[in-house]
Amino acid sequence: MALIELRDVTKRYRVGEQEIVALDGIELEIAQGEFAAIIGPSGSGKSTLMHLLGCLDTPTTGTMHIDGIDVSRASSNRLAEMRNQKIGFVFQAFNLLPKFNVLGNVELPMIYSGVTARERRERALYAIERVGLTNRVHNTPLQLSGGQMQRVAIARALVNDPKIVFADEPTGNLDSITGATILALFRELSEQGRTIVLVTHDNEIAAQAARKIEIRDGKIVGAGGAKVGSPALV
Amino acid sequence: MNLWLGLLIGLKEIWAHKFRSFLTMLGVILGVASLLAMFSLTAGMARGMREYMQQIGGIEFVSVIKQDVPPEQEFFYEISPGRTIDDALAIQNTSGLVSYVSPVVDIGANVVAGAETFKGEVKGSWPDYIPINKHVVEIGRGLSWLDVERAQHVAVVGRSVVDKLWPERPDYNATGETILINQRPFQIVGIFEFYERTEDKRRRDLGLKPAMGAGGGGGRKPPTRGAGMNRSSPFGRKNSQILIPISTAFYEFRSANMVGKEDAGPNYKLDGLVFQVADTTRFPETLNQVSNILRTTHRGVEDFGFDTREEWFDRIEENVRNVRTSGGLIAGISLLVGGIGITNIMLASITERIREIGVRRAVGAKGRDIFVQIVVEAAVIGFIGGLLGLVASLGVMRILVAISPAENAPVLEAQNVIISFAFAVVIGVFSGLYPAFKASRIEPIEALRYG
Repeated sequence: MALIELRDVTKRYRVGEQEIVALDGIELEIAQGEFAAIIGPSGSGKSTLMHLLGCLDTPTTGTMHIDGIDVSRASSNRLAEMRNQKIGFVFQAFNLLPKFNVLGNVELPMIYSGVTARERRERALYAIERVGLTNRVHNTPLQLSGGQMQRVAIARALVNDPKIVFADEPTGNLDSITGATILALFRELSEQGRTIVLVTHDNEIAAQAARKIEIRDGKIVGAGGAKVGSPALV
Repeated sequence: MNLWLGLLIGLKEIWAHKFRSFLTMLGVILGVASLLAMFSLTAGMARGMREYMQQIGGIEFVSVIKQDVPPEQEFFYEISPGRTIDDALAIQNTSGLVSYVSPVVDIGANVVAGAETFKGEVKGSWPDYIPINKHVVEIGRGLSWLDVERAQHVAVVGRSVVDKLWPERPDYNATGETILINQRPFQIVGIFEFYERTEDKRRRDLGLKPAMGAGGGGGRKPPTRGAGMNRSSPFGRKNSQILIPISTAFYEFRSANMVGKEDAGPNYKLDGLVFQVADTTRFPETLNQVSNILRTTHRGVEDFGFDTREEWFDRIEENVRNVRTSGGLIAGISLLVGGIGITNIMLASITERIREIGVRRAVGAKGRDIFVQIVVEAAVIGFIGGLLGLVASLGVMRILVAISPAENAPVLEAQNVIISFAFAVVIGVFSGLYPAFKASRIEPIEALRYG
């Protein structure tokens, strides 16, 4: 079984009288170690799909397995555990806590997984080192640049050693040079064997991924081949 | 997420919004302060009342009083001798439930020593009168049975009597002095201690004025003896007492009984008969027993009754309880208002922090983790507010005492401090429940989309 498996997944919202079909019969498999990009224009349902994959939401119908666990009918607590243990999420808006410093932000997921204070610190420092921010450990997010903030977010996503890292428009709020370094960081993680799925509307960014999953009007129009290995070089 | 971490987050949150947190706490602070001040004032009141009761003999004090006979006994009531020494002897010899008993005769008297005169009441009694009335002999000795047997001309007097007779000599040891009681010489053999409220004693020791209108002699000598001089208070009455042996009292003052122009012979009727119940848990049995004894000595005529403080005590305790309950309720309501303030601020704060909640949820916080965090924050506000409230209560008490100088100073009791503080923490926790529940129900996606 693939690491991620979606079978006939639909997601419908009710907005007043109107029912909106955000996702319509999605069939998708993502294998361990893949570097995939979900691409589509805005309103195509790619963010909704990302939220489902990230266990932030559940599908209306259909089944979704992540690492062999059926999350389509899981309880809110179970989903929280999935987000905590199996999934790292990187947001377009970084979503760091402004009142905490870099270390505190990176430690955050471990607070909810019962890691001792000492181990929390150790692991957080290691993750911060991996994204190259060791010299900013005690700064608060407001004292960092956009690229640095996104690195903190990536460190936070990695700190619980998740199976999959999802990134929702990770370069959307960054200038192109900084964006490129962040993408390079993702590629590096992929080379180390981590499964990475990113969402983007930018073809250039998507081209850097090994696999392109195109979505339009809630349907997958091109899933690409499930390729495992080194990503394509531009 | 453990509680310790929640506590740290709560403290951080409070510190980050110092002024807002303080305003939130203010309700709790004032609530706790008024609750504790209320408790302390009633505790002071209760202590004052209990002291008063103790001074007049305590709950174990019983007085045998004259009473109208029941209608069916009206035609032969004359066969009863009334209250006599025999009653006291019979009780002393036969009642095991009575610890002390004393007959009493009252003699209105002019007491003279040198140039000074003191108009007062002289009581003829047995030595037991001293423990029954909780008298304490400070200098010299009390009455003895030998004094009674031999009808000695000795007197034990209160401190105010000495102060009045020797006004120029504060704290005079008057034992050995001779005083004239209605022209008969008596030697002072003992002086009682000065009775006063604990509060007055404290103030006197500190060199302050007594709390309530000082009875006479203000400024005569510092430190002034205050309310204890006032003869209408139980303290004043005790301080003005003169005790002599009852035998001497009969012999000197009651051996002639002039009715019109004829001498009706000695009058052995008592003016009082008092006793002390040995075990207050057996109050009814004791009264029953004494009643049976007196029925024998009174030849079956029920011309006596009992004046007890039991009901009085119960009433006082009930009053104190009522005041405490109603006062506590009012203060409790203000604390509740403080709690509503916390709820209000917490609700506003979760709306403000919805994004933070979303981030926490996204990285793996469960609904209950968010719940705990908010409740702990509210509890911390209650906790700190409670502590500050305890401090503030001291100020509130000072203000209350300054505005209306009560007879009794407030008493800070440990249990009341604990109750008030615990109540603040409980209010904090409860006021956090609803906002916490609301916060825990926010879906992560909605929270992240917000703002």
